[in-house]
Amino acid sequence: MTAEEWEDFRKGHPKAASLKTVPLPFPELCATLFDGNAATGNPSQCLKLQHSAVIRIQTSRTLEEPKEDNMAKFSIATVFIASISLLLTLTHSFSLENPTDRRILVLVDDLALKSSHSIFFSSLQARGFELDFKLSDDPKIALQRYGQHLYDGLILFSPSTERFGGSLDVAAILDFVDSGKDLIVAADANASDLIRNIAAECGIDFDEDPSAVVIDHGSYAVSETEGDHTLIAADDFIQSDVLLGSTKIEAPVLFKGIGHSLNPANSLVLKVLSGSPSAYSANPKSKLSSPPSLSGSSISLVSVVQARNNARIVFSGSLDLFSNKFFKSTVQKAGSSHKFAKSGNQQFATEISKWVFHERGHLKAVNVRHHRVGETDEPAIYRINDDLEYLVEIYEWSGSNWEPYVANDVQVQFYMMSPYVLKTMSNNKKGLYLASFKVPDVYGVFQFKVEYQRLGYTSLSLAKQIPVRPFRHNEYERFIPTAFPYYGASFSTMAGFLIFSFVYLYSK
Amino acid sequence: MGRSPTTKDDAQALFQSLRSAYAATPTNLKIIDLYVVFAVSTAVIQVVYMAIVGSFPFNSFLSGVLSCVGTAVLAVCLRIQVNKENKEFKDLPPERAFADFVLCNLVLHLVIMNFLG
Repeated sequence: MTAEEWEDFRKGHPKAASLKTVPLPFPELCATLFDGNAATGNPSQCLKLQHSAVIRIQTSRTLEEPKEDNMAKFSIATVFIASISLLLTLTHSFSLENPTDRRILVLVDDLALKSSHSIFFSSLQARGFELDFKLSDDPKIALQRYGQHLYDGLILFSPSTERFGGSLDVAAILDFVDSGKDLIVAADANASDLIRNIAAECGIDFDEDPSAVVIDHGSYAVSETEGDHTLIAADDFIQSDVLLGSTKIEAPVLFKGIGHSLNPANSLVLKVLSGSPSAYSANPKSKLSSPPSLSGSSISLVSVVQARNNARIVFSGSLDLFSNKFFKSTVQKAGSSHKFAKSGNQQFATEISKWVFHERGHLKAVNVRHHRVGETDEPAIYRINDDLEYLVEIYEWSGSNWEPYVANDVQVQFYMMSPYVLKTMSNNKKGLYLASFKVPDVYGVFQFKVEYQRLGYTSLSLAKQIPVRPFRHNEYERFIPTAFPYYGASFSTMAGFLIFSFVYLYSK
Repeated sequence: MGRSPTTKDDAQALFQSLRSAYAATPTNLKIIDLYVVFAVSTAVIQVVYMAIVGSFPFNSFLSGVLSCVGTAVLAVCLRIQVNKENKEFKDLPPERAFADFVLCNLVLHLVIMNFLG
């Protein structure tokens, strides 16, 4: 058999391609079937036989196939069930139904911080967070794997780190925030450029002088030794229940670290704890030769950012603010005789962490619907001058369940290029907001818009498009008594036309 | 004061000449004139009525007034075309002019009925 013949045969029988080189699988079968022929060594005959053997093997395969099929089905089912359960656990970790973060990565300079700040960490763990402690130069740090974020929140308690280990860098952290995740950053007197860069990207400018710390000779914390007044008793809190909880923080917060100013171009960043009017930022060890760059209440000690995607960030100029030592310390503000047995740090840190990890101040709007007054179905189009009702339910996440959000300043707009109707919605104290109004006498494509942005709350931005049409030809009012003279005039003109025609034609 | 009787006399003389001149007008033109007067007076009545009760069914008002005005305009057009002294239309037979008038009136009243509301 020539090579060409073999090629032709192979074209017709692709399965036989490998048979040229392999030995005959059933030599004895071959021998018994074609005893004489095989002995002559005629390769073509033998190949034919081989071919029939292949067919026989194939038939036996097809007999076996159903069993394999069952096996495959079984394994697919197991994989399916496993993936569904995996999906369930994944969705449980962070979902719209449960906006509170679950898994938090804590990056520290030194694992000793784990014990020196243990009260803060254990309060987080007690509230159900899974903390994953890593050294900031751990080469295995990764915020995401295969495009999935591994954590819902990040705590950077590593002020002096110049470079993170692994794939983590400023861009990765900003990307983390851009995907709606939360961040706590604490700096201190030796804050690295890395931390400063992250802060600058979020609209927070730490004092550029690396040796400067916040000094306050007016409201320092009184201690046994007359120090350099860098331990501050700060009590200029932002007035916001949603940020700092409804219980007022009575005791001042102890702060020892660097101050920062807010970038005026960034409207998303807020001072939560600001310096007293007598505070300034300078090097305490050297004599002050020029006016300090940051002074008074423009110094921010702790600031928060809520991004447009509702990611939340806390920046603190002091890592010690979260430490057990400050949590437990007594505090007496200079010039005040009242000595608090416990500083406000623990309450402050707990409340701000509740906010930043979405245990508070997270709103959701559901069941957005609208209909004509007296109907329940949502129409696809409204007519001008229709009376309609717009309803939306707004709930606030309380950390464990959704509770009705009650406010008297939620407004709905009926919007086409500009709001034609802007109406404050009434609510039934159970989260249901309602506004009823008349569609303006203008037709076009409108939108129902709710733009609700309040300090500390996640922003709500709802838009629903709805067209408005003019009256149909048969929708105008008919047989109006006022218009009878006009009808009479029209018909009398017609009658006049007929009479005139007759008179004119027969007058000759 | 002295001019008043003179003005009155002048006015009388003017009406006299006008009436005598109009008496010479052919009958068919007089019929058209009567028809125009009817249409215009109906329109005026409606405008006065609208001034009293307000413009609420404005489409009805427009169609009522415009039917009268349109009728008057078409009748005037017919008068121009059938007037023997009008040399411009001497080639146009009066039957043809009347047929045009009827057709235009039909279209006008169709529109009016639609717009009457």
